[in-house]
Amino acid sequence: MEEKTAEIKQGARLVVASSPHMRSVDSVPGIMHTVVMALFPVVAASVYYFGLRALLIIVVAVVSCLVTEYAVQKIRNKPVTIHDGSAIITGMLIGLMLPAGFPLFGVFLGSFFAIAVGKQLFGGLGFNIFNPALLGRAFMQATYPVLITTWVSPRTVQKAVDAVSAATPLALWKFEAKATLLSDLFFGNVAGSLGETSVIAILIGGLYLRWKGYVNWKLPLGYLGSMAVVSGIFWLYDPLRFASPLFHLCAGGAMLGAWFMVTDMVTSPTTPLGQWIFAIGGGVLAIIIRLFGGLPEGVMYSILFMNAFVPLINKHTRPKVFGEGVKE
Amino acid sequence: MKDFTKMFLNLTVVGSVSGVLLAGAYHYADPLIQANRERELKESIFVVLPEAKDYKIIEKTVDKQKLVVYEGLGVDGKPVGIAFKADGGGFQGNISIMVGLNLDYLRLKGIKVLEQVETPGLGNRISEPKFEDQFKGLEFTPRVEYVKNKKPDRPNQIQAITGATISSDAVVKNINNYLAKVLKEFPKEEILGAASKEDGHRTMTSTEAAAQKKH
Amino acid sequence: MAEDSANSLWYEFKKGLWQDIPPFRLVLGTCPTLAVTNSIKNGIAMGLATLFVLICSNVAISALRKYVAVQVRIALYVVIIALFVTLADMFLAAMFPPISKALGPYVPLIVVNCIILGRAEAFAQKNAVVPSLMDALGIGLGFTMSLASMGFVRELLGFGTLLNFRVLGDWFEPWIVMILPAGAFVVFGSFIALVNWISHRKAAGSSSM
Repeated sequence: MEEKTAEIKQGARLVVASSPHMRSVDSVPGIMHTVVMALFPVVAASVYYFGLRALLIIVVAVVSCLVTEYAVQKIRNKPVTIHDGSAIITGMLIGLMLPAGFPLFGVFLGSFFAIAVGKQLFGGLGFNIFNPALLGRAFMQATYPVLITTWVSPRTVQKAVDAVSAATPLALWKFEAKATLLSDLFFGNVAGSLGETSVIAILIGGLYLRWKGYVNWKLPLGYLGSMAVVSGIFWLYDPLRFASPLFHLCAGGAMLGAWFMVTDMVTSPTTPLGQWIFAIGGGVLAIIIRLFGGLPEGVMYSILFMNAFVPLINKHTRPKVFGEGVKE
Repeated sequence: MKDFTKMFLNLTVVGSVSGVLLAGAYHYADPLIQANRERELKESIFVVLPEAKDYKIIEKTVDKQKLVVYEGLGVDGKPVGIAFKADGGGFQGNISIMVGLNLDYLRLKGIKVLEQVETPGLGNRISEPKFEDQFKGLEFTPRVEYVKNKKPDRPNQIQAITGATISSDAVVKNINNYLAKVLKEFPKEEILGAASKEDGHRTMTSTEAAAQKKH
Repeated sequence: MAEDSANSLWYEFKKGLWQDIPPFRLVLGTCPTLAVTNSIKNGIAMGLATLFVLICSNVAISALRKYVAVQVRIALYVVIIALFVTLADMFLAAMFPPISKALGPYVPLIVVNCIILGRAEAFAQKNAVVPSLMDALGIGLGFTMSLASMGFVRELLGFGTLLNFRVLGDWFEPWIVMILPAGAFVVFGSFIALVNWISHRKAAGSSSM
């Protein structure tokens, strides 16, 4: 465990890219529990804005993930690894990516799909190509397209019997050309998925992860940086039609995706160059989908799309062994 | 050489026999297929022009583009409205709509979505009566508009489907596009005038059209 | 002798129903399997259209097998298959326009369905008419069954209905994904896994006994 952690901490100086990535099970729980810790501010913000219903959704997602992982591993006669915490994180992330009014059966279905199809079908932790939480979310998007885009206004869940439905800042901009206050975006006082609204809570969690050394700074920087650059170009071209880069960084799932999903160790490349390609490609795609796609939000599909390229990126950015690659 | 003859005979015989069989089958199937298409068209016209009992096809070629409108005829043979097809891109593919136009040229009589491949459960709700019925008696000056998440407050507005703005927008856009063309190329006076006398445009009732196809 | 041939005919028939069931075991004919199975009705209609073409082409090719020039046989088979496909297409368009509309281009596309040319090459051109007929019946029914079972799962979960009858109550929120291509792939994969799992268990069971 120490060895692996040290390796990650020293990542900047000494690049030891192991592939397949996190095979050493010993080191996994430590990292995973730190990630769970880092998600606590995000969970707290979601409960603050969307009430206890938010907590209920997150708990159901976590329990469903653990039960699914246990059941699949039992059926397949594989060692049960629910104690490593990875299923807890997947569950928390799924919960945080859903709207407050999402039905609990849907939460279970998405979590089941994420773990059973997204993770165990590929062979379990370390072998999955796609981020399981995002895959579960994408399955829900296709299964319940109406429910998953039925958002509620923050701070209305407790007060009224029926929560007030509202559009997300991105949808408001795209379909009604309405801007949202940046301060509301920053603190999270907007409609959206449970955990994506509060930029400050995500930043606290993300920077804590970075401080613990579990986040490779290239990934969030490349992702958010390229989003800012691409949206900035369009914004300079026509500030009335295109939203500012700051808006794009703070709205929707950009922050949550950049800090907790792009950085997933299993589904991101192992080489420094590969990590840049992966992160920048994802950021560019996210903005393209947001500006020109049918949907207002593109973070989820951009990361899933880039996940698919990780094996290819790894293969072509592998550092050359001394003596290899000499032209004849 | 023997091989060559065999190959030649093989393909010729099988090709000719297949051709003959297909020609025979076509002879029987084609009138039925045409009748099905005719019926489908008729039904969709009668949905948007409920008083119509028959229809007349009016064609015009503008900029090498063929424009077709269907003039609905009531029980007494008098025109009751104009129907036309509006095609255009939706969220995922082509949306084809039959639009019924009131004879006063101020309001729509109704629409019917004929073909669409929008997302099930979301965009495909444009073909639900709840959405289509909004167009009954809708005014279209200066154009058809849609509002979101609230009741329309003007006579030329409809309410878009929640979560399916793109599909709703596509329907409205298609209707506006074709409406503009029809209003320009088939002005009210011409249509009402043509009802009393033929004026150079090729017009025929559906029964005449069917008769012509048989020849 | 007679019993023998009856047995072998029965074998030619039944192999298509499980052992060589086209989409799940041979992974042939996947295009219609994925494209037109969003309801049981469409699945069965597509399966029956394919069954018709398969029977006709197998019988015709088997009957002509002694006269066929080897060099042009594929061209010949394609002409024969295209003939029956066009007949089926015209028949559906004339008699069942709603089904013809629902199946869209997938009826004409039976021409390029690997199952049909595959059976012609693998079976009909080497065997007599009656075994070829049995082969076509078995494979065609197996294909129809597969499409119907895909349609069963997708219609049940995607609409909450079976053959347009509402079987799941209002509490059920339909899984839209099942009507979409993504759902087709998920269901298709699950069926392949299920069929493999059952046959592995069968094989394990018979070897241990």
